[in-house]
Amino acid sequence: MLSNGSRRLILAHFWLAFAAFLLALVLGEWQMYIRSPLHDWISNPELYYRAVTAHGSAMAYVFPLLVAMGFGYAIAELALKQPLIGLRWAWASFGLVVLGTVTAMAPVSMGLASVLYTFYPPMIGNAFFYIGIVLVVVGSWIWVALMGINLNAWKKAHSGEPVPLPMFANVAGAYLWAWTSVGAAMEILFQILPVALGFKSTIDAGLARVFFSWTLHAIVYFWLMPTYIAFYVLVPRAIGGRLYSDAMARISFVLFLVFSMPIGMHHLFQDPQVGSGMKFMHAVFTAMVSVPTLLTIFTICASVEIAGRLRGGKGALGWIAALPWKNPMMLAVAFSFVMLGFGGAGGLINMSYQLDFVIHNTQWVTGHFHLIFGGAIVIMYFAIAYDLWPHLTGRALESVRLMRAQLWLWFIGMLVVTFPWHFVGILGMPRRMAYFDYSHPALAPQAIYVTVTFVGGLLLVASAVLFILVLVRGHLANRITLPEFRFSTPVHATTRVPVALNSFALWIALMIGLTVVNYGFPIAQLMALPQTSVPAVPSVVK
Amino acid sequence: MMETERVFSLRNVWFTASVGAVIGIAAVAALIGFIWIPLEQSNKTVAGLWDAICTAAGVPESFRQVQQSAAPIAGPSNVIVSAQMMKPADGLSIGRGAALAPQCTMCHGVRGMSHADAPNLAGQHDAAIYKQLRDFKSGHRTSAIMGALVAGLGDQDMRDLAAYFAGLPRGPEATAADARHEAPVIVRNGSPMRNIAGCTSCHGGIDIKTGSPRLDGESESYLRAQLLAFATGARHNDIYGQMRNVARQMTPEEIDTTARFFAGR
Amino acid sequence: MGIVALLVGMMAYMSLHWASMPPSRIETIDPATLHIAGEFVEANLGSGVEPNGSVTVRVVGNRYSFTPQCLLVPTDTPVTFRATSADVVHGFNIAKTNVNVMLVPGYIATFKTKFKEPADLEMPCHEFCGVGHATMWAHVKVVDKAEFEKQAGGKRRVSCVK
Repeated sequence: MLSNGSRRLILAHFWLAFAAFLLALVLGEWQMYIRSPLHDWISNPELYYRAVTAHGSAMAYVFPLLVAMGFGYAIAELALKQPLIGLRWAWASFGLVVLGTVTAMAPVSMGLASVLYTFYPPMIGNAFFYIGIVLVVVGSWIWVALMGINLNAWKKAHSGEPVPLPMFANVAGAYLWAWTSVGAAMEILFQILPVALGFKSTIDAGLARVFFSWTLHAIVYFWLMPTYIAFYVLVPRAIGGRLYSDAMARISFVLFLVFSMPIGMHHLFQDPQVGSGMKFMHAVFTAMVSVPTLLTIFTICASVEIAGRLRGGKGALGWIAALPWKNPMMLAVAFSFVMLGFGGAGGLINMSYQLDFVIHNTQWVTGHFHLIFGGAIVIMYFAIAYDLWPHLTGRALESVRLMRAQLWLWFIGMLVVTFPWHFVGILGMPRRMAYFDYSHPALAPQAIYVTVTFVGGLLLVASAVLFILVLVRGHLANRITLPEFRFSTPVHATTRVPVALNSFALWIALMIGLTVVNYGFPIAQLMALPQTSVPAVPSVVK
Repeated sequence: MMETERVFSLRNVWFTASVGAVIGIAAVAALIGFIWIPLEQSNKTVAGLWDAICTAAGVPESFRQVQQSAAPIAGPSNVIVSAQMMKPADGLSIGRGAALAPQCTMCHGVRGMSHADAPNLAGQHDAAIYKQLRDFKSGHRTSAIMGALVAGLGDQDMRDLAAYFAGLPRGPEATAADARHEAPVIVRNGSPMRNIAGCTSCHGGIDIKTGSPRLDGESESYLRAQLLAFATGARHNDIYGQMRNVARQMTPEEIDTTARFFAGR
Repeated sequence: MGIVALLVGMMAYMSLHWASMPPSRIETIDPATLHIAGEFVEANLGSGVEPNGSVTVRVVGNRYSFTPQCLLVPTDTPVTFRATSADVVHGFNIAKTNVNVMLVPGYIATFKTKFKEPADLEMPCHEFCGVGHATMWAHVKVVDKAEFEKQAGGKRRVSCVK
């Protein structure tokens, strides 16, 4: 059971996350409208890029971070069955995230930092934008430390016992984030901020892109963590099955630790500042990081099949029909897998060094990461919230039909948004343009697809409003006495786990080692090049 | 017992297998990426094994001077334009500029507001004034009158003049809100497929690109003449054709509309 | 696992046989003085025929246009793009081809390709470069090899800028 103190903490995280999410979603839909043929060219394009900056920063940093943090606190208390250690620090960390968000968003909303969430030096925005992001990240590092501290306290008290899988995965995610965020942190602290604060007037744009790539791809796996944790420790229980293999789950999570970081340069395949050999290394490890995802898909499908058979499903496919399709968790995981399947297939194309040339920086890429993040990942965030909500509010969450409608809307909306994006991307439509001349014969055929994405966006907004509605109704429902919160149980009870899969030292060593191998040389060598620092270009000098 | 099992030990199969596999994958990837591919497909541009490795790793070539072509090339400008090109104005510089300014007043007005069709200089961005003065002096921008006047000016003189005129009063600059309500589409959005950027994305209103002048209140005939000169290439002191690329694509009507809009502000 | 191995194998194979990013040394250049001297002065931009018959196209990106803003290239000829930026990060892709290059100020990007048939193609800037980004569209005119030779005949550099 969650203590009252933890409940308030977790609810604060979730509500701030979902508020940021809703706001950013509306901004996203506004952008789709503005650049579609339904609207005249926006008279002040800067407003569009301002909105893109806010949408990206909220969706990429604030929203998933807060979900992971809130979920992490819940797991620490529910899985370890001990009161959360460091509640005050947790609130301090939350406070830093709030302060950072406000600090960053103030200059963005004033149009002083329309540099997008990817920063793009040598463009330089207002210093407070970057300071705000640093505060958010520092706040999140407190969370990382708290997760480690809670786990170690439990280990001391339970010497020799296997760490509960939810906590093992949760701490893997926290450590992943700690190391992931270092790339962008170095870019901001050592490159951008000195310029934004006026101490320097030049910056190495190529090096900055290398640092950012360190963060930019691994952050996707951090976004993915709560989703994968839910796959393993919530889904089998929620649909009445068993987890097929506890060891497989642990292996997947440690593989993410090892392989998430040394692959980011696949964002730089077209960049001139990195050697082709380094790019090839990163491409190979990008292929490796699909292994834990394939393991996960296999394990979860097996777990779901167990549920179907336990419910009386027979035959090669009969178990599918026997699944509890009315259960929102079942629906969410099915949708998530479908989107992960499409998104993963697209991702394999992105990572293939040569195929990437056709679609790099086109709307294909926008479609790809919206399908993976907005689709496969976020739909499980909804499911996590639905699953935890009664344990946070102490009240029943009864709107099951609304939940199903919400999940269906999100699923359909996401497909309607992202499929046309992939398609116009292949036709060469570039990203991040505030307006297009659809009267030009080269773009005219794309107009209809852009209009379709706007309609898909409307479905997404409707779905998000329903989501908030369900949660609000959850606060107003009748109080209930809750059974103890349970995570999934594996088919074979976990009595013994190899030390390697019960601790992180080996995997962290490999993670850091591999990052040094794959990033050490390019970074050192670009740092040593004096002539590559170029004049900074302050963005929007009013 | 588990506690006696050491992770970092050659006897722990998890350690040997995982470290071995990671090193193995990295080694194979490196062999292919750093040696095999560069040697195989380089068409002899790679001198040998070591060169192949350096190339693939991204070691730069020495900062070489590219051979100058035989014909002397007259570029658009010798000025290095960057956000840091001008120092903040100080009183001394402004004072020296004021002392030099009388020779400008005949055309550009006593307080920098012209009653002829010469550009207004009051409140103009210092970088814009300085760049044009430099270009007149070096001959990258031609004008019989200006050429003669700048002949005697040194670099500091031009900086002083820029600082002086930049500090003179002129009506408030257009804001994004103004631009939104009044500006014709060609001014605020340009025309994407013809590569015409909206004027407001460089000349103020939304963003200012260093070196670009503010245009509001300039004479209509002057603005039209400059756009036409850029369009034909008669004026070519814009670095990388940033104005020629725009003006060349504009229709005569669009040039009229633009000149009239800024003159009327 | 099989799929992963297959893709990695495919990547290695394609790298060997139709790599577009040639393994050449990283080249650096000062973006502030690009226009004053060196390879990327204005008169040296556009398409030029090399002694070996291949064509090199030099392009500079700068807020908010590529120069030249219309590139002329021949069919069935090895074409090498050499491009850089004079200010912020830009990039371009040429619609319906595999041409896709990032222009990072301070570095020279190189890209090799071949165009199959004559066409008029769009070449947008595909990396956010400022408020005028949406207007940064260049064009590419692919013409028959013979036609290109006719137009290029005797000139150091050609483009389709009118």
